[in-house]
Amino acid sequence: MNIRTTGRTATGPAAGPQAAPPALHVRDVTVRFAGLTALDAVSFTVAPGSVHALIGPNGAGKSTCFNVLSGLCRPAAGQVLLGDTDLTGLAPHRIAALGVARTFQNIVTTEGTVADNLMLGRHALSRAGFAASALRLPGAVREQRAHLDRVREIAELTGLGAHVDTPVALLSYGDRKRVELARALCLEPRVLLLDEPVAGMNGAERAATADVVRTVREQLGLSVVLVEHDMGLVMRLADEVTVLDFGRRLAHGTPDEIRRHPEVLRAYLGTGAPDETPEIQEALETPEAAETADPAETTKTTKATEPTDPTETTEETAVTEPPGENAP
Amino acid sequence: MSELVPKWGKLLLPALLLCALPFYLDAFWLRIGLFSIAAAIGAVGLGLLSGTAGQLSLGHAFFLAVGAYGYTWLAGDPGPALPPALAAVLAVLLAGAAGGLFSPVAGRVRGIYLGIATLALVFLGHHLLLTADSVTGGFNGRSVPPLTLGGFGFTADDPELTVLGVPFGAEERLWYLGLALFALTWFTARGLLRGRPGRALSAVRDSETAAAVMGVNVARYRSAAFVVSSMYAGLAGVLLALSFRRVVPDYFGLALSVDYLAMIVIGGLGSVAGATAGAFFVTALPLLMTRYADQLPLVAAPGTGGEGALGPTEAARYLYGAVIVVILLYAPDGLHGLSRRVRARLRPARSPDRPPSAPWPASAETSPATPARAKEHTP
Repeated sequence: MNIRTTGRTATGPAAGPQAAPPALHVRDVTVRFAGLTALDAVSFTVAPGSVHALIGPNGAGKSTCFNVLSGLCRPAAGQVLLGDTDLTGLAPHRIAALGVARTFQNIVTTEGTVADNLMLGRHALSRAGFAASALRLPGAVREQRAHLDRVREIAELTGLGAHVDTPVALLSYGDRKRVELARALCLEPRVLLLDEPVAGMNGAERAATADVVRTVREQLGLSVVLVEHDMGLVMRLADEVTVLDFGRRLAHGTPDEIRRHPEVLRAYLGTGAPDETPEIQEALETPEAAETADPAETTKTTKATEPTDPTETTEETAVTEPPGENAP
Repeated sequence: MSELVPKWGKLLLPALLLCALPFYLDAFWLRIGLFSIAAAIGAVGLGLLSGTAGQLSLGHAFFLAVGAYGYTWLAGDPGPALPPALAAVLAVLLAGAAGGLFSPVAGRVRGIYLGIATLALVFLGHHLLLTADSVTGGFNGRSVPPLTLGGFGFTADDPELTVLGVPFGAEERLWYLGLALFALTWFTARGLLRGRPGRALSAVRDSETAAAVMGVNVARYRSAAFVVSSMYAGLAGVLLALSFRRVVPDYFGLALSVDYLAMIVIGGLGSVAGATAGAFFVTALPLLMTRYADQLPLVAAPGTGGEGALGPTEAARYLYGAVIVVILLYAPDGLHGLSRRVRARLRPARSPDRPPSAPWPASAETSPATPARAKEHTP
């Protein structure tokens, strides 16, 4: 099936699913909202095919950063580059057509079935216009059928296979969250932006989502930028971590480096000395055991630690941010 | 598309029934049917704009007027006196162009503000119709040149035509024209709604942000919705003009726009079948009440003006006002949603989970398995 690439060749450089995605450079991006500096000269680079986590306390600018990357928010200064292409100031639908897909922190699905939602993800890859669809020209019908096949594949991959024809409104919270992830994958993205993909999920659902992210990254070879409050998940999945606080880049490095970074501990826990802060220590160190384990074991570990882990509950409440935060 | 065959089979019976009607009904009933068909075409267009794309429009009467007057002027004298069939096509395109001209405004304002902006169109249109005498005929309107297609006239006697012992007058001929145009509307609108544009439009309605990051050019789709909706309105306008045989400015007022909104609300937003049902209800009801005014309680026959009695038109308005309230309270998804729920209840319990209007026939293979399989990750 070559429909993965046909759409993209029309709008940008060809990118087969196996070709390494271009690096995503964020350079000195500054965003101001009427006197408030939401992002202050933030820079980082997402290496091709890596998982790059963006963490920080609430209000650190993570979602704003995503809004800049997906074109919903125009930076006052700085540049976003995908390979050699400048994304700064491009309209969101053009950025999507270049292969940058995102999910939202608060679930944003449309009416209709799971298949309808996922087919929306194929929008940039298909081309049937008003006339062709109204007259049901053979080309449009064929295109729709081919894309529907791929949508079913992606639904299977994300564990939604049984729900393809179920209206999204009837799904559980975790499944709806997964619909968003699947819809983003339907764009055949080269860079996938995940805004709190496991917020509000239970342990098993978290593990399943983490598996999906790991699988698609291996199979489709895409880069992932991840915003997440679940430190265990971040430390397990991420190759690199950037820490934001009050719109500034606080630290940057591998999960191991971040775990020991004094500034990070201070940002999360106020001014207390690191050794007096068992909670964050625990949160940062919990996944150590699971880091090298295979997915099945990971699931068990997460399940086992879930009910007794005190940080889980604190983080659950911490994720509840104002619903309007994602609006551009 | 072998899966489509049963679906088409279901449509075949009503289609045959509609085609047989002129042999059994007189001109009065056919005229009611014709007005309803025209209204249905317009309502499908408004449903596309307000129901699917979520853009409130009070200006539908304006685009109907563009279609009706466009045809009358293009085919008539004074006017270029084009062949009527060509004039009809051009009138539809003209209405689409009018929608396109308005779309920069539509791209800037949302929701109730868009409603107000479109309201201005109705007043502007009405003023133009009254003042541009040479084109529109002013207050008294113009008579509509009859449609001819390749020597066949949609009039009473051009040529004389008798089918199976039934003389075919203007109403009978226009009835079949109306049916054909409605079939075209039905086919194209459903194709649009179930295809890529329909998905993009409903995404724009549900969340412009989500639509944009999924690659939908929001501004373009918003204006395209206006153009397509206006083209359907233009088509409805042409058919209305042909059935009225005279166009007058007062018909294309605000009340007409509100009628169309009532149609799509009663029928159920975002559905072609619902818009059709709503159009029949809103159009046929006042006409029927006028006809049977003398037999209805509390309703005075037109012209008699009995003490404390309602005129049939007012009574019809009260009635469908009440219906709107009832529908908003008890069936916010309109007649379409109501019939869907009734059908879901009547359906054998074999596949209870399946949404009754699965958008793509291919879904039939997978869905029976759905209820059997438990959700894996429910807490």
